[in-house]
Amino acid sequence: MDENMILEKQYENIMGEEDFSGIMEEASRLTEGLSDSYTMDRIFQSVLSGEGIFDSGVAIEGLKSLFLYEIQNALILMVEILSICVILGLLHSLSDGFGSKSISKMSVLVCTMVIIGISINSLRISWQLALDAVSAMVWTMEILTPVLLGILLATGSIASGSVLSPLILGAVTGFSVLVKSIVLPALYLSAVLSLLNCLTEKNYVNKLAKLLRSVAVLLTGLILAVLTGIITIQGLLTDASDTVLMNATKYSLSTFIPIVGGFTSDTVDLYLRCMHAVKNTAGVFGLLMLLLMMFVPLAKILIVAGVYKLTGALMEPISEGKAADGVNDMGNAMVSMASIVFFTCLLFILFLAGILHVGGNL
Amino acid sequence: MSDVYAWIRDLFLMLLVLSFFQILIPDSSMEKYLKFIFSLVILAAILEPILNLVSNF
Repeated sequence: MDENMILEKQYENIMGEEDFSGIMEEASRLTEGLSDSYTMDRIFQSVLSGEGIFDSGVAIEGLKSLFLYEIQNALILMVEILSICVILGLLHSLSDGFGSKSISKMSVLVCTMVIIGISINSLRISWQLALDAVSAMVWTMEILTPVLLGILLATGSIASGSVLSPLILGAVTGFSVLVKSIVLPALYLSAVLSLLNCLTEKNYVNKLAKLLRSVAVLLTGLILAVLTGIITIQGLLTDASDTVLMNATKYSLSTFIPIVGGFTSDTVDLYLRCMHAVKNTAGVFGLLMLLLMMFVPLAKILIVAGVYKLTGALMEPISEGKAADGVNDMGNAMVSMASIVFFTCLLFILFLAGILHVGGNL
Repeated sequence: MSDVYAWIRDLFLMLLVLSFFQILIPDSSMEKYLKFIFSLVILAAILEPILNLVSNF
């Protein structure tokens, strides 16, 4: 009986009862099929055989088709906005020729409103994407964390498992409520306000929009720092106490039981190490899913944001009024949304890494 | 949350109406006073939720 058989047996015992197809479906929906090849079983096989799990050719092909599609869509948006701007410039100079100030102002206002309409529509799509990504990541964590902590208890890290379990689940839920009901809506409203601001000649709500945005991003950063600090320090502390406990157990098994003590101790050690490998498999699966769930929406939002910034730069010479500023601010708001998605993923990855780290130095 | 959305919607409508007014008012000596009054109105609209919050305590 070699170690692979023991590993497989333990893996089947634990993972046979868990159902991760929900996570796979969600990830597949969000990444448009990119995550399909990274199943739990496949990761486990590569743990057994010691091979890599990334197939670079397939991944690059998938990314290429996804991004080309997104860039194409975003460029269509850019052409729409730019053509409105050209019409706007033309109208402006024409109506200046008639000598009526209010008509030319009115034409600027109407065209700016059309640009705002287009922008708010695509802002809403990006916002929904960010919200979906955060929800999916929270959901993954809510399914995966109890399983991982269960396996953690089985590896003998009793103190870590019992302390980290309420901490991590509480932190995940709290963070998701914060992001979904305060931070992302605040970013959306800030973008709407900065678009409104370009309707009027004077700046009325510019500073208010900037205030909302910086408060939202700052709040996320602050919570991230506090939660990571607490979980990491707690994990290190309980890990130390678990290591002492395990070493004491193994030592007393091999010393105080005559004749078979040595075998028993080694068997316990082997069992715990195999459990550790199973835990790492589940953890790596979670990390991969989280990374893919973060990466694809992030890239989509950033592509649209980049196109908005580019449109703002191209609009500046031809447009009248402050439409260029508004479009540029839209780009900034989308970058902020992308950073919130990234922060969420970072926090969850740190949680998972904390669980994976525990029990590593038996 | 719905209060916040209502607040932003109010601001949106107010800015829209005021910017139309600013275009429509005739050039006269009263123009700058009118613009000042518009700014006061928008200030009041921005402050409204904060005042509500304070008065509840």
